[in-house]
Amino acid sequence: MPDPAKYSGADEEWEDLLRQWRAQSAAQPRPFFYNRVYARLVDATSEKPAWLPTWLRWPAYLAMSGMLVLALSGDGASLPSAGRTTPYESPTDGPQPALPTR
Amino acid sequence: MVHTLLLSVVSEPLADAPRPAASADAELVAQLQQGREQAFRTLVERYQNRVYRTVLALLHSREEAEDVAQEVFVEVYQTVGRFRGDAALSTWLYRLATSRALKHRRWARAKKRFASFTSLLGFDNHVLHDPPDHAHPQAQLEGQQQLRLLLEQVARLPDQQQVAFTLRHEQELSYEEIAAVLNTTVPAVESLLFRARQTLRKHLQAPLPHA
Repeated sequence: MPDPAKYSGADEEWEDLLRQWRAQSAAQPRPFFYNRVYARLVDATSEKPAWLPTWLRWPAYLAMSGMLVLALSGDGASLPSAGRTTPYESPTDGPQPALPTR
Repeated sequence: MVHTLLLSVVSEPLADAPRPAASADAELVAQLQQGREQAFRTLVERYQNRVYRTVLALLHSREEAEDVAQEVFVEVYQTVGRFRGDAALSTWLYRLATSRALKHRRWARAKKRFASFTSLLGFDNHVLHDPPDHAHPQAQLEGQQQLRLLLEQVARLPDQQQVAFTLRHEQELSYEEIAAVLNTTVPAVESLLFRARQTLRKHLQAPLPHA
């Protein structure tokens, strides 16, 4: 059978320990805590917001990437090549020479 | 019998420190929502010790506790517009403080694990110093072995139990207040505290001399 005196003694010690914790928990932040909080708040609020939200930037990045791939692939019909001859230099331009007759 | 004793001790009401009236807090919130800086100063000065001590009890580092306490107040200022007054201002602050402290601790532990991992792989040449002594400053100063042991064991409790135990025995909140902070019921808080005390007493039993 458990000894009641044993448990009551342990309970008292336990309560003493908790009282000790409470009594001595007088920790405080360093002086001028508010000033540091305020400075932090100013820093946090002065951060310039991005001109576009992130989720809105992704489609733009995707479109730009697509255009870049299209331009580099050389398949863009609307993008004339720099090395291509001009129309007036083309041998197909102008009247076709008559075929020689025998 | 032990259970009865424990429950009776747990149920014993603690002397509450003077708390600001709910109406004063409601007025403060209204002024904060209007963006008045003086109201923010009042809020910080009114609650800084409670927030700081709660965070310190969970983190065991003065620097980290101050950092997290600052974050809590900045978050309050930034989100007070969404505060609907469903809970008391103090409840909201305790909720922010405990959740941020636990989040910070998880981050610090993950960072420490990552540092150990990269050190093992030789990715950096930093010497891994011994972790700082995270004994609670009050225990360090007083050199109280039993208190130090208690705080060490409290730090090893599961998060919910640790928060409940800290709010009850360090901040002296009522069961109802703790339940509001943890967003749970009073019986659940009683259960958390009971289990916490069982665990702590089991671990502290050896050093405790019995009568």
